[in-house]
Amino acid sequence: MRLTVNGTEHEVEVEPEMPLLWVLRDELNITGPKYGCGIAQCGACTVHVDGVAVRSCQLAIGDLAGGEVTTIEGLGQPESLHAVQQAWVEHQVAQCGYCQSGQIMQAASLLDFNPAPTDADIDAAMSGNLCRCGTYPRIRAAVKAAAQKLQGA
Amino acid sequence: MMKRTLWAPLALLAATGVWAAGETIEINPPAEGSVSTEEGLAAWGRIYEVASHPRCANCHTGESDRPMWSGPSYGKARPHGMNIRAGESRIGAEHILCSTCHTTKDEDWSNANAVPHAAPRVAAEWQLAPVEADWFGRSSVEICRQLRDPERNGDRDMLELAAHLDHDLILHWAWAPGGGREPAPYSLQEHVNDILTWGVAGMPCPEN
Amino acid sequence: MSRVGKIARRTFLIGSAAIAGGVAFGVYAARQPFDNPNLDDLPEGAASFNPWVIVDSEKVTLIAPHADKGQGIFSAQAALIAEELDIELDQVEVSFGMPDKAYYNRALTEAMAGFPLHDTSPTAERVRGFVGGVVKLAMPMMTTGGSTGVPDSYDKLRQAGATARETLKLAASRQSGVPVAELRTEAGAVILPDGTALPYTALAGLAATLPPVTDVPLRDPKEWRLVGKPMNRLDMVAKSTGTLTYGIDHRAEGMLHAAIKVNPRQGGALKGYDASAAQAMPGVKKIVEITGGVAVVADNTWRAFQAAEAIAFDWGEAPYPAEQAEHWAHLSGIFDDDHLNAEARVEGDVEAAEGEEVRGEYRSPYLAHAPLEPLNATVLVTDDRVDIWAGHQIQMFAEQVVSEITGVDQENVHLHNMFIGGSFGHRLEFDFIRQAAEIANQMRGTPVQLTYSREEDFAHDFPRHITMGRGVAKVKGGRVTALDVQIAGQSVMRSQMGRMGLSLPGPDTQLHEGAWDAPYFNLPNLRVRSYRTEALAPVSSWRAVGAGPNVFIYETLLDEAIHAAGADPLEERIRLMGHDVSVKVLEAVGELASWNGPSAGPGRGRGVAYGFSFGVPVATIVEVAATDAGIRIEKAWVVADVGKVIDPVNLENLAQGGTVFGLGHAINCEITYADGMAEQTNYHAHEGMRMYQCPEIRFKALENGAKIRGFGEPPVPPSAPALGNAIFAATGQRIREMPFNKFIDFL
Repeated sequence: MRLTVNGTEHEVEVEPEMPLLWVLRDELNITGPKYGCGIAQCGACTVHVDGVAVRSCQLAIGDLAGGEVTTIEGLGQPESLHAVQQAWVEHQVAQCGYCQSGQIMQAASLLDFNPAPTDADIDAAMSGNLCRCGTYPRIRAAVKAAAQKLQGA
Repeated sequence: MMKRTLWAPLALLAATGVWAAGETIEINPPAEGSVSTEEGLAAWGRIYEVASHPRCANCHTGESDRPMWSGPSYGKARPHGMNIRAGESRIGAEHILCSTCHTTKDEDWSNANAVPHAAPRVAAEWQLAPVEADWFGRSSVEICRQLRDPERNGDRDMLELAAHLDHDLILHWAWAPGGGREPAPYSLQEHVNDILTWGVAGMPCPEN
Repeated sequence: MSRVGKIARRTFLIGSAAIAGGVAFGVYAARQPFDNPNLDDLPEGAASFNPWVIVDSEKVTLIAPHADKGQGIFSAQAALIAEELDIELDQVEVSFGMPDKAYYNRALTEAMAGFPLHDTSPTAERVRGFVGGVVKLAMPMMTTGGSTGVPDSYDKLRQAGATARETLKLAASRQSGVPVAELRTEAGAVILPDGTALPYTALAGLAATLPPVTDVPLRDPKEWRLVGKPMNRLDMVAKSTGTLTYGIDHRAEGMLHAAIKVNPRQGGALKGYDASAAQAMPGVKKIVEITGGVAVVADNTWRAFQAAEAIAFDWGEAPYPAEQAEHWAHLSGIFDDDHLNAEARVEGDVEAAEGEEVRGEYRSPYLAHAPLEPLNATVLVTDDRVDIWAGHQIQMFAEQVVSEITGVDQENVHLHNMFIGGSFGHRLEFDFIRQAAEIANQMRGTPVQLTYSREEDFAHDFPRHITMGRGVAKVKGGRVTALDVQIAGQSVMRSQMGRMGLSLPGPDTQLHEGAWDAPYFNLPNLRVRSYRTEALAPVSSWRAVGAGPNVFIYETLLDEAIHAAGADPLEERIRLMGHDVSVKVLEAVGELASWNGPSAGPGRGRGVAYGFSFGVPVATIVEVAATDAGIRIEKAWVVADVGKVIDPVNLENLAQGGTVFGLGHAINCEITYADGMAEQTNYHAHEGMRMYQCPEIRFKALENGAKIRGFGEPPVPPSAPALGNAIFAATGQRIREMPFNKFIDFL
């Protein structure tokens, strides 16, 4: 089975029902997307498929249908941060950080669809991503800052 | 302002998806005039059992863009967790797409919904029913009048309603929800038969 | 091991009486530092002046041994060293290092001396020093817990930095001939009077030959460059780019993945199983038995999960009541002398006190830790060495556990501590380490990574203990005159230490923590009694431990009394409070929130609560709006006194996060048992709080306290009663049981 992740094509030999998350983590060693719940309750595994946020624990690799996958590693790297990642650093959002890959991927997707989200939009878009440490006040602020940054760009 | 307007074509997909699992539905309406009003009302009673069942009604929330979590497997009735709002698009495009979690299953694999409490998925784009199809908490009369009103049922006659049930693969899920959820009553075929029976009887609705 | 060691190991030291009663030890020995573990394998030309600093010709490495589960102690430790070492944080490499008793936690014993932490009298301090010395000799615990990371590190790591700096200056003096007094240090170099910079790395070889300069005075905080200022946490960029390696992300050549199924009735037996279907599933390499269950080893975590699900099991009964109602019934029956844990505090005479009575019964449920990174550990066992890659808070004990399982000497068992994706207390437990070792021991030569499925994580959590409180308050003349508080619960410490093979004689102070030590010194009549059981489900330390339930009980009862007295909830608390530092905290939270009484307009209410835990007074005000669709938690104001702030930004993050944690569990969460199993299997049934329910949270830190304190746990306790009190103010409905959503809807 072939798939494209962060612009690189890969060939994996797995059963079609294996979730994309586990193909990424255990077959390709791309560990930015995290396992948290396995049932779309936490959002830690969020990636983009053709630019849209998807819970990779819920997408069977056989259902990827040629979609191009972007993971947190493909969004931006430490030396070339995406605007959302930059906002996350500036607002010192993370505590344990385990959910933040998913939070950032969800926020980036939100801003792609809705460049100037209201507080209510942010609360609606981001409430599928669980943060057990409770960094929500900082996530809210960072999403707004990233929106401004992206609009100014 | 929305940068993308993806949801309209995505919503269309829902009606054109292919039911890969291949449940075959036969649409054989009874002969015109062969069904009494009484029999039609009895058929409606069963249709209402289906329409008001949580597997169906939870996503028929009318003006509200919030799907519901209700029924025995959910405990106390409440809006879908995570503050989910389907928006005007009914597919969540304004906030978070339904398909972010309810991914679209293209392949024919049987246990897609085996895991309890996971987001159900079908071979169609997950979405909330249209505003007009407002069923959650509605009475038998209210739902019946809506379903027979072409203005509010997508301009469908009885055969088209049956065909819609056959084609709209989200609806099939209601009878095979998996993950320990209670399926809608009867079977899809029985439900289609009831629609046809009710239609041939002239779509009678209860008085109150 | 010394006799003292044996005694102390068997009877963990709690309270001054146990120590003063029969143990003698040498003060001298207690003051001796442990050997520097870095010296064992130090390459030629590298210098290590103490366990926390290594300099070689290439780089400066700081060792930050406390486990970081999100609280930011990794960065805080580095900053404390770098402050005195005069080096910038982007010039150093920071490592967790390898576990060693040289990194034992000096602050952990402070709470064991039997004095409330607000008591800093000479007597209390002397006993604390004594207890600390005994424990250091007997059982030097390297551990991160009890919000002690900062207090343990504060002096010690600055001292480490200063020692290293002065030794490097001495080396520079020897090399240049310039007297030490004329040298200064900056940005990782010793600067000569002519401006020449000698990088520390260039001085390492010479410095390694010199005895470390000790007894260096610490700088005045006014001179600090890093500490006390907003920091960029060292893990922030990595955590924002998916590039940080948590334990679950560890990868090794040839590594296999394991999943387990263990009796969901905690501690119940494995009576039988049929793994024939699982054996034939894709990617399955081996199926092995472990304590109480079975593990599947496969080439991929998901395949291991799938195969584990395919095993049919016959599980034994739970060694505790099967149904939740029996747990509550049991607790309600232990308010008697037979179960008395302690009469922890008596002031005046609550029974003789006059006044109108206010009574209440309160409940705090079991709660799961459920950190987002599921429990996991990677273990490689060979015949003479074991490596463990896992995040753990009691590192050396984890090594000991693995040594016992594998038969490999503990000195050859190496725990590589990893960043932890949340703990809230769960990473103080050893099951996942033990199981990973049991599996890897049956796969010698192959690294095996055990990952708990989320369902397994919930099923095998040792939750927060359930607690029941009964209280009687008396009010007279518009004042609260008496509080009589009884708290019944499971002994967390006995349950937790029992799993470590340790016994706890005497009372478990956690059963009255946050109640007995609440410094409402102006309350004339006060009694706090706690009652103990061990007959219920096994439990563990859950962020803030006893103070969580106890502050909810105490502060709700107090609020009811204040309401009955017709007094203002904030003013009456300030009047009752006899502890200056806490008075200032209460006053400050009132100012921050512009407190003007509990009513905040139609359908709106404000509640206040105070909590004292881990030496930190915290006051929280919550404002709610009662809407048709339910309660909306709109705002929270939090003020705390931590003595000294290390990083104001991180501290604010912890205040916000701790408040969210407290509020979310108070409204949404409980673990209940049915047929001996936890009914909540994943986050759909135990989510804590999500963003849409999260209020705006403002925080202010004060620095009046006598000692520096840790802040990982203290923000949690007062949030739940502050919310309950606000709901009462808005609706008139008094909720005495968590989770609140059983009684009222939330938006």
